[in-house]
Amino acid sequence: MSANPYLPKLAKLIETVEMTAIEKLFKFQFVNEEDAKSFSYKPGQFVTVSVPGVGESPISICKSPTRPGPLELLIRRIGRVTNAIHKLKPGDVVGIRGPLGNGFPMEGMKGYDILLIAGGLGIAPLMSVLQYVIDKREDYGDVILLYGVRSYQEALFRDMAIDLIEHPEKTGIKAFLSFEREDSVFSKLMEEHPRSVRKGVVTVLFECADPYIKPDKVCAVVCGPPVMYRFVLRELVKRDVPPERIYLTLERRMKCGIGKCGHCVVGGATAIRYVCKDGPVFTYSDVLAVRGLV
Amino acid sequence: MRYVKLPKEGLTKLFEALEGFGEVHAPVKRGKTFVFARVSSLSEASLSYNRTMIPPKKYFVRPLEEILKVKVSKGYEPVVEEPKRIVLLGLHACDINALRVLDGVYLEEPEDPYYRSRRANAFVVGISCDPDEYCFCKSMGTDYVWTGFDLFLHDIGEAYLIRVGSARGEAVVESIKKVIGEPTNDDFVKLRDLELKRSKMFKKELNTSLLPDIADALYESEVWTKFSDKCLACGSCNLVCPTCRCYDVTEKVELNLEEGVRLRRWDSCFMRSHALVAGGLNFRPTRLDRFRHRYNCKSSIEPKTNMFFCVGCGRCSAFCPAGIDHVEVLNSLWGLAR
Repeated sequence: MSANPYLPKLAKLIETVEMTAIEKLFKFQFVNEEDAKSFSYKPGQFVTVSVPGVGESPISICKSPTRPGPLELLIRRIGRVTNAIHKLKPGDVVGIRGPLGNGFPMEGMKGYDILLIAGGLGIAPLMSVLQYVIDKREDYGDVILLYGVRSYQEALFRDMAIDLIEHPEKTGIKAFLSFEREDSVFSKLMEEHPRSVRKGVVTVLFECADPYIKPDKVCAVVCGPPVMYRFVLRELVKRDVPPERIYLTLERRMKCGIGKCGHCVVGGATAIRYVCKDGPVFTYSDVLAVRGLV
Repeated sequence: MRYVKLPKEGLTKLFEALEGFGEVHAPVKRGKTFVFARVSSLSEASLSYNRTMIPPKKYFVRPLEEILKVKVSKGYEPVVEEPKRIVLLGLHACDINALRVLDGVYLEEPEDPYYRSRRANAFVVGISCDPDEYCFCKSMGTDYVWTGFDLFLHDIGEAYLIRVGSARGEAVVESIKKVIGEPTNDDFVKLRDLELKRSKMFKKELNTSLLPDIADALYESEVWTKFSDKCLACGSCNLVCPTCRCYDVTEKVELNLEEGVRLRRWDSCFMRSHALVAGGLNFRPTRLDRFRHRYNCKSSIEPKTNMFFCVGCGRCSAFCPAGIDHVEVLNSLWGLAR
């Protein structure tokens, strides 16, 4: 009999990095060396984190598999389990199950330009793609990042974002940043880089990025709050990016993560999908066929 | 298919042989309804019954069960369960087909080890039945079961004509060969005629060709609102459904704050929490959303078996406290007046 898929593997918290008032980056290392060795994943896959005695929560992996070292998870303090995770101290032990889900088809995207569109915490799963394409730069065309945040205070990876805008020559990535709430840091950045930084939601960045978006050779990779998808999709469709090259990664309630418990089921009777197993990455073609995906 | 004939007076012998395999569970009358329960003699079983309230799924995914042991300071370990052999005696074709549908979910990779072990240790004896006013298995194509049982008993009057569905079934039959015989051509003619008679007894009919498309595409239909307005969102239909498989997972710690368990329990897509995520967003916020979701889920097709996620057993309608009838809802969607 194969291993029990419900059994988490032990991992130790080795470091946390404060990101914002409600988000931290957690670095975990598997306690058992075998578990560490056998853990291989694709960008866009996720794990579940169990706090013994509290419960389990699905969390996307915020790091590219091309980078060695601990498992990195960017977690917002928002529910029962994530509150408990935020209280953990280095040395504390959690349970990890995974990797789960399909992930992004990085092989299939080879040779294409990569257009990353992230809203808020949506940057977490996209970080695995961003790092991946940076590490395998020769495999992909241009890399464009549209990143929408609320404000400087609430922005994740804000130093990275500012660096990408101020020094595009370092990575060759064309980065664009939008922010919704007035703040001095981003306002100043906007003054200095009016073509890269805009006030508003992430879709205002399309106008800035248009000269770089070539529909015939781009793959779009989108993650953000559920409300964001419809508006981003509209912009991509308007620009004739083909549906099969628009990738979205989605959130749902999940308990098992392996297509049994039924919570993440979406779709009408003709096309039922498990977000945990058939996703969390879907294409816009899937969106057209599966009711209620976005 | 191998067929054998068992005179009805030989049923006790079969029962004894089944007890040799494991604990026998059969439909038992409780109040106005039936339950699957352990029986220690044939007389306790009601083999002529319409339906149990709770379907056989309870033997494979329990209403509430521990899946992991928790030690707060050490982590998790699986709950190890001694495999227990049981015999499910007297399952109707719809319920056996429902188990096949559940297999499609639970035995799909990665397999659920608890389900796998219990399924492997359960001996299934089917029995023929006549439809009542709630049955619509014929519409769903589940009035006939061709695999998924060890033995299937067809009542042909003075005897049972038995279909032998597995090597285990074969072994049981062999062990009682003194009381069984070979069926004659007349017996098969009897079986044929009774089946034809049964086929004509169905009062409920649901048009299933294009059903998934109708349920999906007529999303805006006022039929959904009409019936969901009557629905109490109590989740009874989920609990009694032989293919409803959603479960919730919780964790519980003892007062010593060290030992605990991770539990799973049957869940219902009618509960507000079913699609609720941390932060308060609900992907199916209204009762209408949840009502439509259930009917779409039930009208969809399980890809491993190519069977509907509904086997037409009639339980959801028979036990709905609001009197909502599954077939009536979908027939209304078809535009068919009842």
